Amino acid sequence: MSKPGAPVEIRPEQAVAAAAELGQKLARGAELFAKLRDDEVKIATTPKDEVWRQDKVTLHHYRALAPVKVAPPVLIAYGLIGRYTMADLQEDRSLVRNLLKLGVDLYVVDWGNPTRADRWLTLDDYIDGYLDECVREVARRHKVDKVNLLGICEGGVFTTCYAALHPDAVKNMVITITPIDFHADTEQDRLGHGFINLWTRSLAPEDIDRLIEAHGTLPGEFMGSVFSMMTPMRTLMKYNLDMLEVMDDEKKFLNFLRMEKWIADRPHHPGEAAKQWLKDLYQDNKLINNAFVINGRTVNLSDITMPVLNVFAKDDHIIPPATSQALGAKVGTKDYSELPLPGGHVGVFVGGKSQALLGSGIAEWLSERQ
Amino acid sequence: MDPAQYMKALADLWGQGGQSFVAAQQNLLRDMAERFNKPGDNAPAPAPANLFDPAAMTQANEAFGRLWSSAAELSQTFARNLQQGKEPDPLVSGLLGRIFDPSAWFAGSEGMDAALNRLAQGPRLADIWNTERQMLAVFNAWTALRRRSLEHNTVMLEAWLAAAGSFAKLLNEKADRKEALGSWREVLALWVETANKVLLETQRSEPYLKSQRELLKASTDLRLAQQEVAEFYSEMFGYPTRAELDDVHKTLTELRREVRALERAGRDRPARKARRSGVARPAPSEEKPS
Repeated sequence: MSKPGAPVEIRPEQAVAAAAELGQKLARGAELFAKLRDDEVKIATTPKDEVWRQDKVTLHHYRALAPVKVAPPVLIAYGLIGRYTMADLQEDRSLVRNLLKLGVDLYVVDWGNPTRADRWLTLDDYIDGYLDECVREVARRHKVDKVNLLGICEGGVFTTCYAALHPDAVKNMVITITPIDFHADTEQDRLGHGFINLWTRSLAPEDIDRLIEAHGTLPGEFMGSVFSMMTPMRTLMKYNLDMLEVMDDEKKFLNFLRMEKWIADRPHHPGEAAKQWLKDLYQDNKLINNAFVINGRTVNLSDITMPVLNVFAKDDHIIPPATSQALGAKVGTKDYSELPLPGGHVGVFVGGKSQALLGSGIAEWLSERQ
Repeated sequence: MDPAQYMKALADLWGQGGQSFVAAQQNLLRDMAERFNKPGDNAPAPAPANLFDPAAMTQANEAFGRLWSSAAELSQTFARNLQQGKEPDPLVSGLLGRIFDPSAWFAGSEGMDAALNRLAQGPRLADIWNTERQMLAVFNAWTALRRRSLEHNTVMLEAWLAAAGSFAKLLNEKADRKEALGSWREVLALWVETANKVLLETQRSEPYLKSQRELLKASTDLRLAQQEVAEFYSEMFGYPTRAELDDVHKTLTELRREVRALERAGRDRPARKARRSGVARPAPSEEKPS
């Protein structure tokens, strides 16, 4: 057998050239960074007006970008983990703009910035309180009986519960990247997928109670760390390699910074609501088993009788597709459709291919069901 | 001391960061731990349940130390031998050394650890000595956190060693096939791919989940122990305690809930009346109780 060669043959002159290239990138990046102003990394810039407010919750109405073709209006509900701004990250990567351009009349609810003072707010308050008020306000403003709901991630759970409890108030429901069966992550053995499900199940319920007792909330930075754990090497390389790759290209660098801005803006999750989210749903899986109770009323998924569009990401490592798709077998409507999209959890909203399909897919589906 | 000055001191201490402060207190607190443990010594208060466990800490330290030596040696061997048969270029060696530095894994995977520490180690109240027992509880909780953190890092280091082993195997296979990686990007890509797989597998393992859980519990215990000290001083100087504020907020939340329900009932009354008299209802979900 011949003597094996060196597994790495980086010639010194190559290394020097690579280092020089690196230096140039850094210099260009530093120059660009010095010129950047906060205004240039603004997110969620689509014009909108606040139309209603209660406590820290605000309801906004987006200004039309095209004549309205789809009725009734759509109310977007994001969850309490992360912020709705993901749906309107930047002008050319915005579900909100895409829908507005396609003639959808759009509202969004902003849950605000919960603090320890909001420790005692429950999912009951959010779903049967604030979300219900928002639905009523939109209905009142447009003199309609029903509105369309578009729930995103945890917000999709809110809209699902709401639609089951108030089917008379919902014309159509669209959910995106929404967990329904919180234990269905075990159906597919994909490495790196469903880690939050597994991690949450590894905790004892009293660990969660004490965490909330200590902090009053589920701290935003804590959830940020859990998400970072899901993509370990990516997290490790993000601020040296990924940033380095894009920092001399203004457009790519701004995209990177906008995404970082969204990631950094992670609100605290009110404590009691977090307990329900982690214990009742992630641990005990009550939603899919029709055992989740809101305001003394059991959420029965078969009470969802309006048309449902379930959008999920085929490579979603946070909400594995099976956890979303479980809804199909449980709803009380025959008009149930799925829209699987390429990409991951966030890629659905910002990925070039997916976000185009997402906006048009939703608008078309809604316009067929006016 | 004037209460206002005490509060200023507390506020200053609250913002103090870094480990050096805690380290400076460590010996003194250890002495206190021993004193509290000594039987019959002025009838000491019962020791807190999570009393400092030097044996467990030493064990955790030794396990980590052993692994660290292996990892550091392997890392250096990688950097040295990857350019086998040639005069190693210092620039390339330096670059490879950085890529395969196992401590980077703590920096990267430490997100959770760091977040927990930041959350747990907010207030620094150790230089006010009126409540030795509470302070001892803080110290014990802090020690437990360091121990859990060390145990978690040991799990991560084992993962690094596994990743490094897989990487070395891949490189040897390439060498046998007379293939070579020609740029640092190629080296890095192979390392990232190999390491990512190992890390993801590690995260699903029982030891990882267990050490994460213990770390979370330890950070929570520390936070709660610190809050007890803060409660004591707040009460002493007549400032609202965290428990009192939580109580107020609870009442406020309940009142707001009631107001919302009353407002809704007020709005729904005419609608129900209208329905009874046969007029269409103006809003959607009003039939159902909330």
